[in-house]
Amino acid sequence: MPIAYAGFPFLSAILLSCVIGLVTILFMPAAQHRRIKMVSAVCSGITLVISIYLFLAYDKSAGGLQFAERIAWVPSLGISYFNAADGFSLPMLLLTGIVFFTAVLTMWELETRVKEFFALVFLLVAGVFGLFMAQDLFFLFVWFDVSLFPMYLLIAVWGSTRKEYAAMKLTLYLLAGSALILPGIIYLVVKSGLSTFDMLALMQPGTFTPFQQKLAFLLFFIGFGILAGVWPLHTWSPVGHVAAPTAVSMIHAGVLMKIGAFGILRVGIYLCPLGWQYWAPLMALLATVGIVYGVFVGLAQTDLKYVIGYSSVSHMGIVGLGLSTLTIDGLNGAVFQMFAHGVMTALFFSSVGYIYDRTHTKAIAELGGLSHSMPRAASFMILAALAGIGVPCLASFWAELMVFIAAFKVYPLYGTLAVCALVVSALFMLRVVQRTCYGPPRSRYAQLPDVSFKLGIPRIILATVIITFGFFPSLMYTMIQTASLPLMGGLPW
Amino acid sequence: MTIPVPPDTLTLTAALLAVLLPLLSFGMIMLVFRHRRRLCARISIGAVSVSLLCALFLLIDHWHLNTPIRHTATWMVSGRITVSVGFLLDPISLLMLTIVAAISFLVQVYSLGYMAHDPGFSRYYGFMSLFAWAMLCLVISPNLLQLYIFWELVGLSSYLLIGFWYQKFSASTAGKKAFVMTRLGDVAFFLGLLLVLFNLGNLDILEMNAGRMPLNIPPATITLAAVLIFGGIIGKSAQFPLLTWLPDAMEGPTPVSALLHSATMVAAGVFLFGRLFPFFSQSSGAMTFFLFTGTTSMLLAATMAMVSRDIKQVWAYSTISQLGFMIMGLSAGGYAAGIFHLTTHAGFKALLFLCSGVFIHIFETNDMFAIGRAGGRRLKVPMACMAIAAAALAGLPPFSGFFSKEAIMGQLAQMANPLWLAAGLLGAFLTAYYAFRLIFVILFPRRDDTDRPPQNAHAAHAGNDGHRRAYRQMAVPLIVLATVTLVLGWGQAGLEAFLMRTAASVVHTAEAHPAAWLPYTALGLALAGILLAWVEFGRRRAAQIGFVERMPRVHRLFAERWYLDHFYRRFLERIIYGGISALCTRNDRRVIDGGLDALGRSTVAASRRLSLLHDAALQARMMLIFVVMALLSLYFLFA
Repeated sequence: MPIAYAGFPFLSAILLSCVIGLVTILFMPAAQHRRIKMVSAVCSGITLVISIYLFLAYDKSAGGLQFAERIAWVPSLGISYFNAADGFSLPMLLLTGIVFFTAVLTMWELETRVKEFFALVFLLVAGVFGLFMAQDLFFLFVWFDVSLFPMYLLIAVWGSTRKEYAAMKLTLYLLAGSALILPGIIYLVVKSGLSTFDMLALMQPGTFTPFQQKLAFLLFFIGFGILAGVWPLHTWSPVGHVAAPTAVSMIHAGVLMKIGAFGILRVGIYLCPLGWQYWAPLMALLATVGIVYGVFVGLAQTDLKYVIGYSSVSHMGIVGLGLSTLTIDGLNGAVFQMFAHGVMTALFFSSVGYIYDRTHTKAIAELGGLSHSMPRAASFMILAALAGIGVPCLASFWAELMVFIAAFKVYPLYGTLAVCALVVSALFMLRVVQRTCYGPPRSRYAQLPDVSFKLGIPRIILATVIITFGFFPSLMYTMIQTASLPLMGGLPW
Repeated sequence: MTIPVPPDTLTLTAALLAVLLPLLSFGMIMLVFRHRRRLCARISIGAVSVSLLCALFLLIDHWHLNTPIRHTATWMVSGRITVSVGFLLDPISLLMLTIVAAISFLVQVYSLGYMAHDPGFSRYYGFMSLFAWAMLCLVISPNLLQLYIFWELVGLSSYLLIGFWYQKFSASTAGKKAFVMTRLGDVAFFLGLLLVLFNLGNLDILEMNAGRMPLNIPPATITLAAVLIFGGIIGKSAQFPLLTWLPDAMEGPTPVSALLHSATMVAAGVFLFGRLFPFFSQSSGAMTFFLFTGTTSMLLAATMAMVSRDIKQVWAYSTISQLGFMIMGLSAGGYAAGIFHLTTHAGFKALLFLCSGVFIHIFETNDMFAIGRAGGRRLKVPMACMAIAAAALAGLPPFSGFFSKEAIMGQLAQMANPLWLAAGLLGAFLTAYYAFRLIFVILFPRRDDTDRPPQNAHAAHAGNDGHRRAYRQMAVPLIVLATVTLVLGWGQAGLEAFLMRTAASVVHTAEAHPAAWLPYTALGLALAGILLAWVEFGRRRAAQIGFVERMPRVHRLFAERWYLDHFYRRFLERIIYGGISALCTRNDRRVIDGGLDALGRSTVAASRRLSLLHDAALQARMMLIFVVMALLSLYFLFA
């Protein structure tokens, strides 16, 4: 795989701006809420700007890994600080930048423990950014754990609705995942005999025997799969969504679940392609069950955030189904779906968060007529719901289209079932929209303010991204193709 | 397959202008000018009028075209799959482009009056532009995937417009129902599309129609693909068994019903049939299935229309029935006949709805008896126009409907099985009956003491200046459409020749030579229907009770839409909500989550037990060690 080293360490600059934000906030007086928020907005804005720049500056004709930086860290163990970006990681970096920046802006009204909140968010996001750019297994694992542990505090301190239970459950699940990933990594590193954590070295064909690949892939699939909400290991995610504060829900569903799918792709598929091939039918089965199951459970929910939580299970199932097809289209669709779902669900949670902040309820039965009192908030929510249904000219449509095409070809039955789940998904999304936004105006919500311009900015950004990629899907597909074509071309079967 | 030619610059500009201006208008209205009501209406009407001019220019300019014109650009590439976007101009798409643009334009002008005092005026015009864009892009699609994309988008605009008055719970429910039911059909359509994609390698409409399927594809696959794609038509054109969403969709504003739910969007299903006609006709099994579906829908909906008191509902059922009739004509092999009926129907059905809209606007009721009592007949223009349109619907000469219906009857007469023709003739009788039942009820109201006293229609319609202006604004499109209904029939020969220009090589229509008795029979049956309506509702001593209402059980069956909705509600409650959804939810709570929680609890409990080893009584542990040692030593001694 061609590597282009960076003249300027853009990738480290992203991490650095997270760290600077974190440190600055830690040294600021806790009472200066406004300044802390300004610092957060500026630092997250820098990460967004850099990630947009990288997305545009990536040389698609050259492909491969670009903007690489490499510093040997523990030479005796073969550990190096090795970052690079390719066509898979750049969409994820862009997604993280977008969701991070908008999540910070969404929390502009936070008043409790502002300093600690933003510090933890910075730590969390630094881990996410680091994971998406890491090319070294050791660092990848470290970033993975860095991104997990702030979640516990963020949910347990700032959350609602059974927050301690949810935080504990989420943490245990994710730690169980990392307890599978770590042995997998050590197993591969030891068996390779190369004494290196460098993924580029490890992914050379013939490094691992088929049996080793099958074993390691299974560990990675389950370990990362927990984070990706793979059925039946998904129950932490809706509970966590519901308990988390708005920005954390956005990051959680928007980015954190993508780490799981990205981990399967980056570690599992790249290092153990034979294992991927071997376990693909199981992946497809679980993904399809997740897609169908998610929409049916979502149908029965009475809490707004639970609904979105289960729709995430279903949408992440589409990612899994795409990955399991072993085709270019499936891979492309899966990665695009990761991006599209991240933006869509961030918009969804930010709209619901606004509604919750004003009405103080997430119960669908108590809401209604919001299009009267807060038309803008309702419009954003309707847009997110439509994107979730997969309406054309919104980003998710293209992702789902490619996954369904690939799935129908490889697994006709699963593909058909997944497509049929679209009907139920429309039913439950529109049901939620109807019960919350439509209907006669409720007097108790009549005086509530609509989304102000300042709070509208993050939502407008998210909506713009959804529509832009909906009309110009090739922006994303040409990027993803630079990674998926070489990957599929170099497969051992 | 005829090789398409690229467009010249003028054609390209006109086609792009025609389809893109409404999108621009949608964006401008929703994002920028939402608070300036009049400007929004101007932008939208301006955009659609330019679209109409472009469409008319294209139609006239290419009246003599011999090869289709195609222009495509790549929208997206992934792996070996290329999604392209562009346009295909051939007779059917040019005709449909003009119909859509024309009716959109007329309805938007009409809405100036109808929606004048609505608080959502700007939003209304925004959605209308969205619809115009999606529908125009749909009709010119050169490939099935683009068609599917815009097919979904017209479904979206239909959802938004049905639920336009979202404060009404029934309206948003109807919108949801429409979206979900059509989605059910669309899923079948999408699967059919995938099947074609994998067997043919691409989704180009001309290639699909060329009839050169690779030889290794079994005919059963083609039949399956055709039936699956037809699923989309069933959903969108509200055919049996997915027909109940359309009458509910009348919750939307009346101009919306006129544009989307009668003249254009629901006709998109029939258009798709016409578009893929050569492909569908490769499978005779599928065609028979389509014929059966069309016939069933046509008759069922006609029976429903006979008993409805709601003026819009009658026309909605009639739309389903007429769409079924078009599908009958197409699946009997009458390509030109079916499309011609689509054209005439678009005109007179839009007219029917727009006339009804005037009544509804002024009398604020949908009940035809109430409108009659309130003095509906004093509104001369809408009353006359509605009578003309009803005559066209019933198939009376010289109105446009007569010619197109005769053409379809002629096709049905070619079928080996005379049952189809009999069904068609029965449909003609029922259609004439229900159409004129409505006309007579409004025209000859009965003073009923139980009801409220009649309102003064003159006071209502001539009351204030605003109302009068609205009335005038609404009247102009009516007169235009009535004129079209009067003259379109004479253009039959020209239109049919135009339609066959590029299709002749792939559409093998048996030349219809209907027996000489057929037109008279059909006309006689229509007149008989009108006569029956006259006897029951028109003449002075008529009780205004239909013959169906004298049979309570039958009446109930018709009024309850053959219990289709009951079935769906049951299915939804018992199977979806109460069955699968509840089962999955319980499984999630009890089995998966409960199981893992139990695992956590038992881990804690096991650790507690284990920790006993550290602090339990010393003797017990010594005893345990002794027993184990004893057993082990016994084992080693004797083993």
